[in-house]
Amino acid sequence: MSEATAVATAPVATDPSLPFSQEVPGAVIGEWAADSDKALFVAPDKLLPLLTHLRDREGYDFLSSVTCVDYSAYKGKARAGISERFDVVYHIYSTRQGGGPVRLHVRVPESETVPSATSVYPGANLQEREVWDLYGVKFEGHPNLRRVLTWEGFHGHPLRKDWKEAYFEEEAKPFKSRHPEGGYKWHEDKLPWGDNNTYPQNWDPDSWSEPVTYVPVSQAPSDHHAYGELDTQSIVVNLGPHHPSTHGVFRMLTRIEGETILALEPEMGYLHRNHEKIGERNAWLMNMPFTDRLDYINSMSNNLGYALAVEKLLGIEVPERAQYIRVIMAELTRVINHTWSIGFILNDLGALQTPALYAIEEREMILDLFEEISGARLMCNYMRFGGVVRDLTPGWEERAKYLVHDRLPRALDQLDDLLSGNEIVKARGRGVGYLSAQDLIALSVSGPMIRAAGLAYDIRKAEPYCIYDRFDFDIPTLPESDIYARYYIRLLEARESIKILKQALRDIPPGEVNAYASATLNQGFGTIMGGKGGYNFRPKEGEAYARIEAPKGELGYYVVSDNKANAYRYHVRSPSYINLNALGPMSVGYKVADAVVILGAIDIVLGEVDR
Amino acid sequence: MDWLNLLVIPIIRSVVIIVVLLTGFAYLTWYERKLLARFHVRYGPNRAGPKGLLQPIADAVKAVFKEEIIPGHVDKVVYLLAPALALAPALLIWAVIPLGKDFPAVADVPIGFLWILAIAGVESYGVILAGWSSNNNYSLLGALRSSAQMISYEIPLGLFLVSILLLAGDFSLVNLVEAPRAWWEWLWLWIMFPLFFICILAETNRSPFDLPETENELVAGFQTEYGGIKFALFFMAEYISMITTSAIMATLFFGGYALPFGIGSDILPILGPFILAGKVIVLLFLFIWVRASLGRPRYDQLMGFAWRTLLPISLGYMIITALLTVFFK
Amino acid sequence: MPELPIPIPPLPTLHESVFMAIALLTVVGAFLVVAARNLFHNALGLALTFFGVAGVYFVAEAEFVGVAQVLVYVGAISTLITFAIMLTRGMMYGATSPLNRQAGTAAIIAATVFVVMAGLLGSLPWPVAEEPIVDGQIVIANLGVGFVTEFVVAFLLLAVLLLVALAGAIVLAQDRK
Repeated sequence: MSEATAVATAPVATDPSLPFSQEVPGAVIGEWAADSDKALFVAPDKLLPLLTHLRDREGYDFLSSVTCVDYSAYKGKARAGISERFDVVYHIYSTRQGGGPVRLHVRVPESETVPSATSVYPGANLQEREVWDLYGVKFEGHPNLRRVLTWEGFHGHPLRKDWKEAYFEEEAKPFKSRHPEGGYKWHEDKLPWGDNNTYPQNWDPDSWSEPVTYVPVSQAPSDHHAYGELDTQSIVVNLGPHHPSTHGVFRMLTRIEGETILALEPEMGYLHRNHEKIGERNAWLMNMPFTDRLDYINSMSNNLGYALAVEKLLGIEVPERAQYIRVIMAELTRVINHTWSIGFILNDLGALQTPALYAIEEREMILDLFEEISGARLMCNYMRFGGVVRDLTPGWEERAKYLVHDRLPRALDQLDDLLSGNEIVKARGRGVGYLSAQDLIALSVSGPMIRAAGLAYDIRKAEPYCIYDRFDFDIPTLPESDIYARYYIRLLEARESIKILKQALRDIPPGEVNAYASATLNQGFGTIMGGKGGYNFRPKEGEAYARIEAPKGELGYYVVSDNKANAYRYHVRSPSYINLNALGPMSVGYKVADAVVILGAIDIVLGEVDR
Repeated sequence: MDWLNLLVIPIIRSVVIIVVLLTGFAYLTWYERKLLARFHVRYGPNRAGPKGLLQPIADAVKAVFKEEIIPGHVDKVVYLLAPALALAPALLIWAVIPLGKDFPAVADVPIGFLWILAIAGVESYGVILAGWSSNNNYSLLGALRSSAQMISYEIPLGLFLVSILLLAGDFSLVNLVEAPRAWWEWLWLWIMFPLFFICILAETNRSPFDLPETENELVAGFQTEYGGIKFALFFMAEYISMITTSAIMATLFFGGYALPFGIGSDILPILGPFILAGKVIVLLFLFIWVRASLGRPRYDQLMGFAWRTLLPISLGYMIITALLTVFFK
Repeated sequence: MPELPIPIPPLPTLHESVFMAIALLTVVGAFLVVAARNLFHNALGLALTFFGVAGVYFVAEAEFVGVAQVLVYVGAISTLITFAIMLTRGMMYGATSPLNRQAGTAAIIAATVFVVMAGLLGSLPWPVAEEPIVDGQIVIANLGVGFVTEFVVAFLLLAVLLLVALAGAIVLAQDRK
């Protein structure tokens, strides 16, 4: 592992054994050989040529994740002798070949910038903004490098290791009981507004206003005249925040002319709680229930993704029965999510909640099953590293079989009958919100949306995790890529999930449900975890990225360990957030009323968007 | 006697009708909520009184006792005038709706038909005034949509009414109910009923044509700045409009206060209002059924439907009706 | 009862008092049209005037004309005007002056027209109906007969005009591919 800065300044001295040394000389300056995924260190100035090469020649067209790690507090051996503070990590996949990622690391000192990947992968947009927001790493050439999750007036970059949360992380905590005679000072009292916030110096909240440099105003075509020679005027309208049907506190900044959208930009972060910062403070296992809170409709899939990432780090084998249980839970969750989203797409179309309530009725049946095994309907906290927390209760399988064989197929057929042929649904959905499959992939969109655009890309097939390679199921695709297709693809996917569920419930073997419960495995597991069972353990140094096909798209977890009881870095690649890249391009040219439905068809959950 | 006949008796009749309508409005909300709940597979209001029957009263008390808020940026006179103007037309139409053979509503004026058309034209004022005076983008857009929608759908509605008029050959609604009709006349009328009902849905701003108040993109449309009793007045206007238009449809298409084949009308003329009420309740069920079942078309689709589909159909229907009237009556 | 030097005017009958109220409303509306400083209020005043005129027709037992007045002037024309004003959003604030440089000329012309009309109407020998019209139906029927006999050319021309307008609306609404 050589010095990135040295290579950047020195003339190209390429080690011919490194990958891509022929195609893009000097781009790759090192390789993390120990890692299972291909992990390459890249010189910052050669990043864009390498990305272009990967996209155009190697078929790596899908930029899954862009994130950053602040290594300033890292004590492990892996970073010995490396001076750069930040490490920007890219995971790039190929939707055509499937398989694992190319992982690129770009190391930068605090003072330097990284070239923005948006010119090659437009989907880097929101993720680079997030990195800028939370780490303060600047991306050169990014069209709209503003804060995205925190507000414009926020002081500092909260995911940096030296950022102290006001009051909670101050050097000395002024507990009243320890200072009976006073002598302490509340941090809040030092602040001008008595809040739990810090502000930049010389900052006056009364005179401050959010800088209006947003894309819709600056990039909207000003000479657009829909009505011939008539001189018309476009106005900026805020849809939201906290709009009754925008699925939560979310804002769409739109520039409209008449009712036609000229430009639209999503504004989020109203629910931001810095999930990742809290995740780095928690012990590994403590994050498990915390993942429930991301996409609170699909807590089981969130659990699964995180468990897979940490298991990759630990190298644990999951027992057979637990694998089956995991698949069953993940697919039940998918059915829940898809019926729910079908209902709410219809809600956004103005159908007075009738379809939504019909869909939710089925969801309740599945939640009953979840409650029975996990004790909770919404926040299940059911998966563990090495398996699941407890076995299925007696009779659970029979009840699940009734649902899967009898009730759910009927419910899906009913939704299909009632909704698919409806003239209003067709009139509102057909041809609205079109974006080609290429555009969607370039914008890093994943999940049902790209399958509704005719691209059969599903991680369960492309890079099978758990035991998905054992089941017989199809990837349904539709060519239209409009709202109606996005509605209908969810129905088809729910049917495929039921197909998987039938097989899984048929084949599920008896046995242990977690690795640390098994006598033979416990020995090995105990060594990994320092002999402390499944609760507290220190994974060896390293990084891992695991992704699953969550109902909303590709859900990825990137974790870095420095052999401590908590994660050094814990990053969630949330599909809701990254799919919002496509909201603007999808809505342009359609009506305001369509934007609401287009958003509904993306199917976001704000808990996952804002994290 | 002059004063008595011209003033006192009509006023008493009007007051009775208004009281009945307001009660009807209150229980229409209950009816709708209960029905919607059943469509949604849930219970609906069931706390206030048996079967939630006191719910409308509780709602009314709440609306009345809410703090009156007039936003600072509104045009006060127009802002306060708007809810009243929204409600008035819905009540005014009842002046001509016949409740029985010897028991006309307020007046059996010879121009009953035209009265309905004229008042329907005035109905959009409440919405326009509310939207403009609220001084709010959402309200304005909602009001623009609403008035454009109402005016557009008034044209096919008017043409359909003219067709019915051609068949009836009389401006009076009492005569319309009393006059005997041939079977093909009924058939021809009922063919048109679904289209007429669509126009009525648009006129009353009911789902799926509730675009003026789409909560999805316009918050609450023209009502955004209204609260408390002023909002309740708009609400009332919408629901009384529903009752009124149901009564109109019952009168025009389903024999109004009379039972089919003239059963019982001579024996018990006092039954007229109750028979009409029964028909109104059935028609109100249609409104609610549609609301629970359908999504909302987009605004341009809605307007396109009025101008591209309904207008040619209504014109053609009128011409054919005229020919039928000339050759068969 | 001794005769007073000035005869006391008789109490107005019901008809007269209703007429007066409506006339007052009409005049107030007309005044609003020219005097209100907000364009939207002007338009509302116009609608009020139209309504008042319709009321006058009703008092005169010409229900058909009255309803037609409401239908056409209040329901359609005034709505169109308010619509146009609503689209000029800037009018909400800033009162506009009701006067411009032609105000004086306009006042003189209006006064002249008023004097001439008042004199003319006052001096006309109005025909007085022998008995009140009881059945409006016959009047409307007569009106209809008049349309298809005496005024058939004008009626047909208007009908053609309206039909052309309707057809034009349908054509305009079609998608232009």
